[in-house]
Amino acid sequence: MRMKHVAFAVAAGFMLATGSAIAHHSFAAEFDANKPVNLKGVVTKIEWSNPHTYFYLDVTQPDGKVVNWGMEMGSPNGLMRQGWTRNTMKVGDEVSVEGAQAKDGTFVGNARVVILAATGKRLFAASSQTETPQR
Amino acid sequence: MQIYLRGALLSSMVAILFSAFLGVGAQQPGAQPAGAGRGRGPAGPPEPTPRLADGTPNLGRVAGEKGVWNVPYITNMGERIVEGDGTTVVERRLASGRGGRGARGETGGPPLGGGEGTSGGARGGARSEPQVPFMPWSAAMYDYISKNESKYDPEGFCLPPGGPRLMATPYPMEIVQLPEQKRILMIFEGATHIWREIYMDGRPHPQGDGLNPTYLGHSVGRWEGDTLVVDIVGFNEQTWIDYYGHPHTDMLHVVEKYSRPNRNVLHYEATFDDPGAYTKPFTVRWNINWNPTGELTEYICQENNKYLQRLTDDFGQPIFGKKP
Repeated sequence: MRMKHVAFAVAAGFMLATGSAIAHHSFAAEFDANKPVNLKGVVTKIEWSNPHTYFYLDVTQPDGKVVNWGMEMGSPNGLMRQGWTRNTMKVGDEVSVEGAQAKDGTFVGNARVVILAATGKRLFAASSQTETPQR
Repeated sequence: MQIYLRGALLSSMVAILFSAFLGVGAQQPGAQPAGAGRGRGPAGPPEPTPRLADGTPNLGRVAGEKGVWNVPYITNMGERIVEGDGTTVVERRLASGRGGRGARGETGGPPLGGGEGTSGGARGGARSEPQVPFMPWSAAMYDYISKNESKYDPEGFCLPPGGPRLMATPYPMEIVQLPEQKRILMIFEGATHIWREIYMDGRPHPQGDGLNPTYLGHSVGRWEGDTLVVDIVGFNEQTWIDYYGHPHTDMLHVVEKYSRPNRNVLHYEATFDDPGAYTKPFTVRWNINWNPTGELTEYICQENNKYLQRLTDDFGQPIFGKKP
């Protein structure tokens, strides 16, 4: 839990320091900051598109069932300002994602941080969570 | 598209009536997690205001250099209203040392705390504020928007910010002065990748039906000393004043004042006079920070707006997406 807070502080700090600004829609209208998710899975699809980049990953649940999650990130130009390119993450990559789940409880979320298993690198997802009011 | 938007508006209005009828009680704003802030300008004494050959302040780049204005995220212009004592809620908060919620991208004046938008919370039904001269309908609309977390924000639909929200939507912006053509262009990366033209040739606003209501209105400008004064009329009613959803009507008249007291800061002031929505005019102000290494990049909001595709109305029905 402590680590999670530290990670969030680091992510927030980084975003503020880089001055990236993504604020397309109300975070609070779609996502629930009180439903944090930590997902581990394999990337199945990437939509490198405006106003948000989406990627999908297969996550094996504790009961063995595989669920496909859709995660929202920032816009391509916002991600590039944070050091991403369109090839940073590829289909088949194993990733960990920290973010928040959609309010409606579907397998949709807003990604704040993405960690590539291959490199261990923490990538900040130009999330709108630190940009718009969350409740 | 228009029809759908009207549908959304209609369901909003129905919901307003419902909540008014039910007399939903005032809710307390939620807790405000502390936000880390940036907000400090570049180190060292600020460099002087750059000027054009004729001495006019240069509100844009110096030849051969990069740079963009880092438009801050001002979510609630109610906190930016200059009140009777000559200060704003945000300025008082900063002066009291309670840290602040000065928006990101601002600089000049005291160091800022976390941005308004970065504070992460505290909306959820917070009611209209007393310093905003609401009419009953505009207060009801605002309170409704507060309760649904700005769900129907036109910017979420990839529609333009409109009016002063252009200077409160956090994407880079450039000002290009063309004195020989007697006009000024403002180019906005974000919201909807739009530009705005300010006529500096002394023309008046079009009269009567010649004034076509538009998202950004009709802007005419003039210099008063080192301050660019822009007068805008002719807004349509498809936008909000800010993310928090202060509404406006097509009677809105805005006077903007831009000045660049030093190289790093664009001081922005806007007076709203909308007798259709507010009982008296009010003035808001904030600073916009210069990013000397920034450049505009492409951002086409309309490409793949899943938010819109998933958006449901107050009765749970999809507004734009397929019916289940």
